[in-house]
Amino acid sequence: MLLAVVASVLLYFLDTRLDYFKPIRVSLSTVVYPVQKLASMPDDLVTWFSDFFQGHQQLREKIMTLEAQNLTNSVRMQKMQALESENMRLRELLGSSFRLQERVQVAELLSVDLDPFYQHVIIDKGKSFGVYEGQPVLDSLGVMGQVAEVSQFSSRVVLLTDPSHSIPVQIVRNGLRAVVTGRGLGETLQMEFLPHNADVRVGDVLVTSGLGGRFPVGYPVGTIISVDFPQGKPFAQIAVDPAARLSTSREVMLVLPGEKIDFGITFPLQIDEEDLPAEEQPVVDDDAITSPEGNN
Amino acid sequence: MAMVKSQHTSVIYVTLLFAILLMLVPIPDSMRYARPEWVALTLIYWAMALPQRVSIGVAWFTGLLMDVITGGVLGIHAFAYALVIYLVGRLHLQLRQYPLWQQAITILSLIFLVHFITMFNTPISLSWTHWMTVLTSTLVWPLVYAVLRKIRRGFQVS
Repeated sequence: MLLAVVASVLLYFLDTRLDYFKPIRVSLSTVVYPVQKLASMPDDLVTWFSDFFQGHQQLREKIMTLEAQNLTNSVRMQKMQALESENMRLRELLGSSFRLQERVQVAELLSVDLDPFYQHVIIDKGKSFGVYEGQPVLDSLGVMGQVAEVSQFSSRVVLLTDPSHSIPVQIVRNGLRAVVTGRGLGETLQMEFLPHNADVRVGDVLVTSGLGGRFPVGYPVGTIISVDFPQGKPFAQIAVDPAARLSTSREVMLVLPGEKIDFGITFPLQIDEEDLPAEEQPVVDDDAITSPEGNN
Repeated sequence: MAMVKSQHTSVIYVTLLFAILLMLVPIPDSMRYARPEWVALTLIYWAMALPQRVSIGVAWFTGLLMDVITGGVLGIHAFAYALVIYLVGRLHLQLRQYPLWQQAITILSLIFLVHFITMFNTPISLSWTHWMTVLTSTLVWPLVYAVLRKIRRGFQVS
């Protein structure tokens, strides 16, 4: 018993205080991957069977909706391309370099429940696919989190809702920067350290600000669903509903490292309004990108 | 003879693996806090029935595996399981004599201990729902007990 206690305490301190244990952890994670894979099998089987035995009619409907979606998406893409090239041209005029597009890699979640006190998920891509620690993870609707630990064939992703995770964000409407932190399973996110007089409204959309250099700029993080100014507390209490479907997404996207995002935007913020065409104003990214520089 | 015996003790490890799988199988989010501590229960049963087979070492190593799988801090589950199995080892003769309800109370306190230790390092504020697992673990104990006893007798694990 004494041995077990000493070993546990030693492990605990080595693991929390020092970094020596990383390689051991990583190799152990690789060893337990088959167990995790096994645990996710019932769920995978159910999915497979339901796919297999789906009725003809259901499949037809699915294809129809997907085709419709594809059509709207491609229409949007056409417009997007035009806007993107226009944006690039304007930026070139302004003398700044910036990458709008990141490349992504698709990974799949293992349907495994981990400790409910940590908001972690396992994905089926690891070191052998070039996944690296701190890599941003997205789903089709927004940011999900980032890679926390990479082993050979799988990696662990910290979700936005994990209490130890924070992400730098920006309000689309006015460019206000803040930090959004998780609060645990089933809870909303929290926007932190904003004073009572901050210009924050219910319904404001938050995107990544790109500060800190870990998350790329302009991906949706969430929407503000309640703003509260508790008496006697220094900061406002702001609840944020995450944009990504954190508990239902099965496919996730890993953002591949492109060129380092360059923030060397040199132009002054006061751009003459008549220089820009009026209808270009609502472009979200523009606002989100330029304003961090305003106060730095 | 020794060959046969070692084959039968492997049944213990199979049940432990199965318990670990039960800890991982996805269930709805609303039920997450109510998931019974399958691994701890299995360990407790074996330590009670065959204290010479499931020692503190086995418990400690299983706990370490759980730490790695759940991605927590290394050593937390290991310590919790080792401590509980140590207690069971001290109490196993009495535990076998207890009627089921008295056993259940012991299990309740043991699982409480496990849960208390494993939650020691969690960053979120705690509410009463987080203790649901203690209750559900106690409720499934008779089931675990019955099933594992059947397995033990069926395979004549000793």
